[in-house]
Amino acid sequence: MKKPLVGLLILVLFQWLGEWGVKVLGLNIPGQLLGMILLLILLSLNKSLLPWLETTSSQLIRFIALLFVPITTGAFFLGPVVFEQLPQILAVLIISTLLAQWFMALIINKLRSWNERDT
Amino acid sequence: MTEIILYQWMLISGTSWPLLLTLAGFAVAWWAYIRSDRASLLHPLMIATPLIYLSMQVIDLDFAAYYSGNGVLNWLLGPATVALAVPLSQQLRQLPAMFKPLTVALVLGGLFATLSALILVKLFDLSDIVLLSLAAKSVTSPIALSIVEQIGGLTSLLAVATMITGLAGIVMAKSIFHFTQLEDERWQGLILGVTAHAIGTAKAFESSPRCGAFATLGMGINGILTAIVLPASIGFFVA
Repeated sequence: MKKPLVGLLILVLFQWLGEWGVKVLGLNIPGQLLGMILLLILLSLNKSLLPWLETTSSQLIRFIALLFVPITTGAFFLGPVVFEQLPQILAVLIISTLLAQWFMALIINKLRSWNERDT
Repeated sequence: MTEIILYQWMLISGTSWPLLLTLAGFAVAWWAYIRSDRASLLHPLMIATPLIYLSMQVIDLDFAAYYSGNGVLNWLLGPATVALAVPLSQQLRQLPAMFKPLTVALVLGGLFATLSALILVKLFDLSDIVLLSLAAKSVTSPIALSIVEQIGGLTSLLAVATMITGLAGIVMAKSIFHFTQLEDERWQGLILGVTAHAIGTAKAFESSPRCGAFATLGMGINGILTAIVLPASIGFFVA
């Protein structure tokens, strides 16, 4: 019981650090993200905090869908302006995902053939 | 600093009984999802949210009351974003060996995923609020949410858009890999992570731990890059 709580405390501390840092430095990025980057830098330099964070972070990520239930339920209340555009929104999401996957696969195939030529 | 702590406290202390509604809806959804052997289209959010919406209609609960009653869950989204650093730090060790091709594929792929969506929104002549809400759709949801909050989109629309993007991504990826003859599971993982974020990453882990590791890397770095580039450049797309 102690480890997950300490893990959560570390995460919250880094979140605050990020939000505070963004404000003080006047950065145009989300505060939580700066917190994540700071923790990432710390963990790459020194792994001693890792055992404290493992349980909390893997459980939070595993059940992240639960955290998104309230916000996603809000989609039913978005109102007619958004609902009228729904078919186009769906098309945008599906087509752009398809294009991005196809584009990435092409780049990767190109990069690999260049690599083979070099070696 | 005190404002930040007060704001966090406000989020937690708002929690009340509508949290039970969320937990019950999610429990039913999770049960169905596991029972169906994790069928993509039975994603927990796809089942839980309509169930909760219908219950709200029956007991006559409005969204504002429901949402503020779930304070602790909304509050946890912050720590959950920071928590992404843990799996990412474990996968970063893979990076040096393939640094150059990996970086090129990641940066171009991530850029293309966002840019193609923004251009399509313009082509379909959709409103600016939709553009701001869809901009981060291929980024993992906790990071996407903080980006959209920052640029002023609708968070509920973003949440649905990321879910649909992830599901569409894992459904289409198989045919794309087949069509382009991309068989290396490391690269398949990277594509799943960049274009279909956490849903794609979960799918990649079903293939193999290696595939999942590259998906984690793709998802994490794409999230960081988008969060840095998008808020600074989105002004270019809105009138």
